[in-house]
Amino acid sequence: MGEPLIQTLVSLHSFMEAALSKSLNRIKSVILPAGVSEPVPTQPSPLNMEILNCRVKLAEQKVENRTCEVFVVEICGSIHSTGSSQYASLKISIDDITDGAGGAGPVHGKIRQWQAQDSPAFCYSADLGRLPQQCTILPDWTAVARINTDWLAFPRRGKRDLSFHIQVLSRDSGEALACAECNFTYENTSPGYIDLQENMQRTKALAIPVAFAVSAADCRMHRSEVELIKSWAKSHIDLSEASEEAKCELENELDKTVAFFREGNQVDVCRICKDIAEIAPLAQRYDILELCLYVAQADGSASPEELDILKDLAGWLQVEPDKFRSMMEKILPVSMHQVRDTEVILGVTSDMGREKSRQQLNKEYAKWNARVTNTDPQVRTQADQMLGLIAEARSQYVG
Amino acid sequence: MANIAGIDLGTTFSALAILNTIGKPEIIPNADGERLTPSAIFFDEDNAGLIRVGIEALNSRYLNAQRAVRWIKRYMGDTNYKKNIDGKNWTAVELSGLILKKLKQDCSAECGEIHDAVISVPAHFDEVRRKATMDAGTMAGLNVIGIVNEPVAAALYYAATREVSGKILVYDLGGGTFDVTIMEVKGRQMDIMCSQGDHALGGIDFDRKILEMLEKNYKDKFDTELIRCEEDRARYEDEAEDIKKTLSRRDVAKKMLYGPVGNMRVEITRRTFEEAVSSLAARTDILVEVALEEAGLEPSKVSKVLLVGGSTRMPLVQKRLEAKFGFPPDVAVNVDECVALGAALHAGLTMLRDHTDVVSAGIAGGLRDIHLTDVCNHSYGTICAPIEKETGRRIIQNHILLKKNTPLPCEVSQTFYTVSDGQEEVEVTITQGEDAAPEYVNKIATHRFKLPPGRSAGCPIKVTYRYDVNQRMHCKFEDLESGRVLEVDFCLDQDGRMSQGEVKQKGEQLELFKVA
Repeated sequence: MGEPLIQTLVSLHSFMEAALSKSLNRIKSVILPAGVSEPVPTQPSPLNMEILNCRVKLAEQKVENRTCEVFVVEICGSIHSTGSSQYASLKISIDDITDGAGGAGPVHGKIRQWQAQDSPAFCYSADLGRLPQQCTILPDWTAVARINTDWLAFPRRGKRDLSFHIQVLSRDSGEALACAECNFTYENTSPGYIDLQENMQRTKALAIPVAFAVSAADCRMHRSEVELIKSWAKSHIDLSEASEEAKCELENELDKTVAFFREGNQVDVCRICKDIAEIAPLAQRYDILELCLYVAQADGSASPEELDILKDLAGWLQVEPDKFRSMMEKILPVSMHQVRDTEVILGVTSDMGREKSRQQLNKEYAKWNARVTNTDPQVRTQADQMLGLIAEARSQYVG
Repeated sequence: MANIAGIDLGTTFSALAILNTIGKPEIIPNADGERLTPSAIFFDEDNAGLIRVGIEALNSRYLNAQRAVRWIKRYMGDTNYKKNIDGKNWTAVELSGLILKKLKQDCSAECGEIHDAVISVPAHFDEVRRKATMDAGTMAGLNVIGIVNEPVAAALYYAATREVSGKILVYDLGGGTFDVTIMEVKGRQMDIMCSQGDHALGGIDFDRKILEMLEKNYKDKFDTELIRCEEDRARYEDEAEDIKKTLSRRDVAKKMLYGPVGNMRVEITRRTFEEAVSSLAARTDILVEVALEEAGLEPSKVSKVLLVGGSTRMPLVQKRLEAKFGFPPDVAVNVDECVALGAALHAGLTMLRDHTDVVSAGIAGGLRDIHLTDVCNHSYGTICAPIEKETGRRIIQNHILLKKNTPLPCEVSQTFYTVSDGQEEVEVTITQGEDAAPEYVNKIATHRFKLPPGRSAGCPIKVTYRYDVNQRMHCKFEDLESGRVLEVDFCLDQDGRMSQGEVKQKGEQLELFKVA
């Protein structure tokens, strides 16, 4: 019975990829100026001291007790200024040319300070001071910039061919006095920004069957739960530029998924969550767990099966138990639980000894006791219930 | 010279004490000659202008429970609580005002004018409840010169009347609330280390467990409900309390239940009672442990455990404390009166500090050398929007500046930064509570702080909170670049839900009712 679901998932995913590709094209059109072709790899040219030359080396640097990789940019050769005693500045940008003309695009700056004025493209600038002569010659390689790789967001993970563009500009007029380019191959170990965007879309697609699985856990898919998931899907998939046909297509795919679960079919939620955990950042995993908590809450109470699957989900999505409980407290208060699971509600697990259970319960008590005078009557009621449960658990686990 | 008074406004009983000519506190009996007045109110059926407070009100509720009110303290500060009598909605503050009016009236007749007073409150009361208590005093015609935490008042009386030193744990289990305070005493110097409280744990909760047992016994035998109306409930509440008191003296309590379809004899043993209240007892154990953890103390470092409040008479309380600390708790102090007596001492100290000229030489001499260092009862913070480390997202968070149990007076400053370019104002919120999540703390004030236009994000705003010994808080928000400043002052007798004008007006309305 897994095949229809896989088809559904594939359809959902393809739909998302189509949306993603559109948004990527949009990004490119913003980043690349009209009439400028995408960068192509350049051959290393012989050193000509009459022009400006550049090269890049990878080095390590200690920053706040941590070793970071830095690109050391060096220049040599000549800089011709329009007059003597001209002040100059340095500007460096980097393109990722791994995929050639149809390539991935510019390297982005992660810090606002190192971003171009109107785009996230990386743009380093520094003051070079006064040029001593009208034609300044640097006979030896001189390091002019150390670019921490932590500042950079590459388009993709893996081996990247980078093209460095160095410009020496007149500080007064902004006129380019000299420029140089060089290539460098770098092994990027972090996911690139396009990887992240794709992962984000894929995660959203995967979140939908997970949420339906929570809804179907008690074999009753309440209408409010289904509507909530559908509404989440529609608001999280960028449909702003999608055709009416595409919107209908999404609606159909969602209906197929609902039908699949309504027929009593199941999916391997553990496997899907593990896939999500591999590609999604913590914030997005929180979002998915939050969606699932809202699904469990939608019909007014959480069944034992729903609570069980939520507990498992938190583990599979690698969300810390304390964080999961704090999310649960806000979205699915104890009054909505059809069964009282001490582990889920109070964080007391069966493998905790008497002393650890006592400490955990005291911690919970201190937390809830501070909430009993809250101005919100719902919080007050919840706090009173929790204090009662903590006292009962104390009698049971500590004696 | 007017009397200096201390009032214990309790959940089940209240008491008033004054300082005598040599500065010693004394309980003043009420018009019935009783040292304790039940915190019960009954609105007379025949005379709309007459309100009975005390023992008569307690007994009258058997006749018409709808016109009776008890345990008002549990609703203090709750704006949703209303008791409708003859078309008038009485608030918890007004009802408490009636109890205080009765105390003032009776004691004034006994020992002369009562004007300046300190009223005690549970240590865990927040600013809203403290202000509500002060308002009740003002409505009753008192000049409320301060508020004192009940366990602090009890410890003050204890330390001022006997030779003690070391770390003292005050265990205050009253009619409706439970507080634990740990203090360090060196002669007549008392430094509070921490206070913890449970707002819904007291004698009445233990009584309710007995009442549940009575109802279950009756239902099991006759298959019908024992309690069919509020008057029945009032009667059996008192029976349950009586059984609890008996079980403090004997192993078995016996009662006849005169129910609607038949009578039955019930026997409740101390053992079954203690089993029934095990979760309540567990709550007291937790609170003691939480207080010890907060003070950073092992039980072995506590020199003495002082019992306060009538509910500490239950043997299980003493048994559990002895098991935890390894020595029996100190029961030498009068558990029902020591809060009022300590509140009177606190009133004397407050008058000496703020109005030395009006305190007689005898009282000043009696209070000489007593020094008390109190602490912040709650944490105070502000709402900010930091970037969460683990997700990299900007989140809305309560950031605590002034931590609970910081010795008074205290001051703390911290710098925050604007989050967006061109930000022209900051919403400054002063919070009270221990949580990082904004929904779990109380926002006690919100102001808009205007900033100069056209600046980039990251402008520093220095926030300073100062809390003085009179429980007045001063908050200052300073834009370091422009020098603009927003200052907010709080004190218990200024800020709150009711203005002074409203309190005065309500007080005038209370004047129209005769309290007997």
